[in-house]
Amino acid sequence: MSYKFDFEFLAERWPDFVAGAWLTIQLTVLAIAFGFVVGTICALVRVYGGPVLRRVVGAYVETIRNTPLLIQIFIVYFGLSSLGLKLSAEVSAVLALTINMGAYTTEIMRAGIESVQRTQLEAADCLGLTRLQTMLHVVLLPAMERVYPSLASQGVLLMLASSITSQISAEELTATANLVQSDTYRSFEVYVIVAVVYLALSALYRLGFWAIGLILFERRRRLGTPL
Amino acid sequence: MNKRMLLRLMGGAAVALSFGLPAHADTLDEIKKAGKIRVAIDTAIPPFGMTDDKMQPTGSDVDLAKLLAKDLGVQLEIVTTTGPSRIPMLQTNKVDVVVSTLSITPDRAKVIDFSVPYADHPSVVAGLKTVQIKSLADLDGKKVAVVRGTTQDSDLTKQAKGAQIVRYEDDATMAVAVASGQADILATARSLLPAISKKNPARTVEPKITMQTNWLAIGVRKDEPKLLAWINDWVKANLKNGKLAAIYKQYHGVDIPTDELLKKGS
Repeated sequence: MSYKFDFEFLAERWPDFVAGAWLTIQLTVLAIAFGFVVGTICALVRVYGGPVLRRVVGAYVETIRNTPLLIQIFIVYFGLSSLGLKLSAEVSAVLALTINMGAYTTEIMRAGIESVQRTQLEAADCLGLTRLQTMLHVVLLPAMERVYPSLASQGVLLMLASSITSQISAEELTATANLVQSDTYRSFEVYVIVAVVYLALSALYRLGFWAIGLILFERRRRLGTPL
Repeated sequence: MNKRMLLRLMGGAAVALSFGLPAHADTLDEIKKAGKIRVAIDTAIPPFGMTDDKMQPTGSDVDLAKLLAKDLGVQLEIVTTTGPSRIPMLQTNKVDVVVSTLSITPDRAKVIDFSVPYADHPSVVAGLKTVQIKSLADLDGKKVAVVRGTTQDSDLTKQAKGAQIVRYEDDATMAVAVASGQADILATARSLLPAISKKNPARTVEPKITMQTNWLAIGVRKDEPKLLAWINDWVKANLKNGKLAAIYKQYHGVDIPTDELLKKGS
């Protein structure tokens, strides 16, 4: 093999990679946060809602989970634009990623909510907790604690999948890589660098989820045991 | 395969690896030995490369590659590529040559070799009829769609600093962006405008500014003097006998400036 690695372009182009990674972080942190809210509401509807609402949420979840993310992004970016609703690439990306994250979160949170036993609800009732208190402290938090590893994985997966948004001209990390690659022709080096950056971002996201978990789950923090 | 043979093979592989691959394998000889030439063509750039209603590749670059393979006396293997990946594919020996609306640029000439030019290729800034632009300065603050990694991308990035450049991955995506209303202005090859306008006649685009005329050539890996010489002679011969002009006329409806091309190639 006569290939010579040449990372010289980094001296000049590293701010581009930083900017790309920063946009990736912005897009995906927003999408994960919004997606979590959407997913949790949808999960509650799917478990406790009326038959019509349950069907609607079910259709949403199955449609999103059984179509490619790229198509969903194209529909939001090009489809809505054809109808007259012109969203920028970044807004379209956050919207499409949120819709996607929401569907997966619905299923994950539903599993958690369904794992809360009836006796727990009865105990909450006996103790005189209000419905809101019961929902928050007896159902949602323990449910979330049980499925937290899945939620964190889904968040990291979404961050990696956000590379697809380069297709609609969002200048995130992968788009940056393609740009630098087409300017410098050092394709191998560029993609190696980007792979390392994604690896670092994954580690960062897992660390973030771990820290949030410590704050959210007081019992685990005190006792150190899983639920 | 018995154990001893396997060991011998592994030993052979180790020796091959330790010496490295020969740096000067001659591609022209390899093409003839294999009986086929691998040509990178982007089939998403009508009318250079596209697919017909039977999903078969067609277009002026495709016909040029067919003619090239026929004259070499080998089979043609079309390897579909995209703007950003066509040069890496050549560098990493995924293909033998690139015939993919490849414009000659000094930057590219550092990493690959070009044949003599076979066609001209003006790039323009185009826009909807309602858009008022006369010079690159008028692009300030406006969104301009380009395909990432093309000459229009790098030219516009340098020359129209005030413009907001929106980069898409290929011509098809950029065309959809124009047709769906995400972009009103684009910088692209003049040859592409009719196809883009056809997607949504209500959003017909017309050329506003000619940025520059590029010259299209066949891309060859560095250090391939035999292959390059053969291709150069072939291009000149087929410019003179009018075959390349006929292909271009068939797909683009305009003539190539044969005399100017021959002058550039001499």
